Amino acid sequence: MNEGWLALIQQALSLLFSLDPEVWSIISVSFSVSFAALAITLLPSMVLGFLLAFTRFPGRWLVTNLIQTLQSIPTVVIGLLVYLLLTRMGPLGDLKWLFTQKGMILGQMLICAPVLVAMSQAAFTSVDRRAWETSRTLGAPALSAIWAVCRELKVPLLLAIVAAFSRILTEIGCSMMVGGNIAGVTRNIPTAIALETSKGDFAQAIALGLVLLVLALILNFALGTLRGKAEPRSH
Amino acid sequence: MATFNTTTDTRAKAKIIARNLEMRFENKHLFSADELVFEQNHVIHLQGDNGCGKTTLMKLLAGFIQPTAGTIQAQGFSVAPWWRSNSITGKAIYLHQHPYLFEGSVMYNLTYPLRFLSTDKQLLKARIEQAIDKAQLRHLLTQAASSLSGGEKQRLAIARAWVIQPKLLMLDEPTSNMDKHSQHLVLQMIADLKQQGTGMLISSHQTCMLTKVCDHAWLICDKTITSGNISANQDMANAHIDVSTRLNVSIG
Repeated sequence: MNEGWLALIQQALSLLFSLDPEVWSIISVSFSVSFAALAITLLPSMVLGFLLAFTRFPGRWLVTNLIQTLQSIPTVVIGLLVYLLLTRMGPLGDLKWLFTQKGMILGQMLICAPVLVAMSQAAFTSVDRRAWETSRTLGAPALSAIWAVCRELKVPLLLAIVAAFSRILTEIGCSMMVGGNIAGVTRNIPTAIALETSKGDFAQAIALGLVLLVLALILNFALGTLRGKAEPRSH
Repeated sequence: MATFNTTTDTRAKAKIIARNLEMRFENKHLFSADELVFEQNHVIHLQGDNGCGKTTLMKLLAGFIQPTAGTIQAQGFSVAPWWRSNSITGKAIYLHQHPYLFEGSVMYNLTYPLRFLSTDKQLLKARIEQAIDKAQLRHLLTQAASSLSGGEKQRLAIARAWVIQPKLLMLDEPTSNMDKHSQHLVLQMIADLKQQGTGMLISSHQTCMLTKVCDHAWLICDKTITSGNISANQDMANAHIDVSTRLNVSIG
């Protein structure tokens, strides 16, 4: 590693540890928007995943496949869709959410939900039916039995949450189009990294990249520990 | 049309009554029965060959699956609060052939059903202690339930049901995983429940220690379920379905 690289990393760390207001404002926007999108979509998505796994209704096959497809749509396409919805002439134009954090939250919700639904459906489908039956037969009301099943599936369900959160925290297409990358308002980590790199200000880009890297390490190690404790079930 | 139903006269003996029962999987006729009564104070040996539908019948009575035709009605159970459904599920406790234990310790599993009971906490605590001793689980309490042997799992599952003091209990091939020692411990708990008036339905395709406590028999044969008395000292291998009390046999 040459001196230039070392200097850049030193600058990046200095930006982070000196609590540089611009850098931490970007981090704050990123986390508040993504947490909000995740919090809003989490419960309905899990419920839909549960219903798709446990119930049979006409059109279930279609819904499942649509959700699988939505997972693979590029975020920039979702950004375009949300932009068209929120633009002044669009059906949601009156909300005036374009280039606001609310608009970004809406976009990230659409990115987050299919991941949560598909992964929770897969988790619920894999559950041992005896968990539900045992809980119910021991007197648990339906909601408590659902909770018992979720507890048994805590590793795959947490994986679904982490995967969905990672996807929205790191997506750039939708945030750039719907948020507009306005400093202090809608500039988040991925849009800031793209901007600072294009300007040649690598120190800030590296500082923000380090935040994502540390977050990824923490989440994966935490999940790895959980997964390690979970023992394969046998009769 | 299959229906489930619950009536709530708690003075009467708790019972589950299945009428005009018919079970089919797609076009395959599994069994039918005109009337089956599973009630407190009766210990029934459910007999039949492998694949004849013993587990399916138990799951029907547990409310996990719906019959193709017929009604299943619960009587003599307390009224559920208005926000909870009065379905048949949870009325008769069903223990799987391979019991399901939740992720967590043996103690967690043993105390799991307590949160759904309104019984005095001190009483339940004392009952847990008794169950631990009866099933000889004290040295395993902090151990992960998933690490237990087959027999220990079965003992834990039956101890968990014993704590609840159920009115009706169904045991699906309970001795299939157990050595003699575990069978003996389970037998003691079963005998204890019988003394308390718990109605039990024990499925087994062969005789074992547990089936000797049975005083009634249901037999699934030729796609028909017949029920009758069985004399207490009779060997179950020669179980005799009392023709005089045979109930409403139907030919599938």
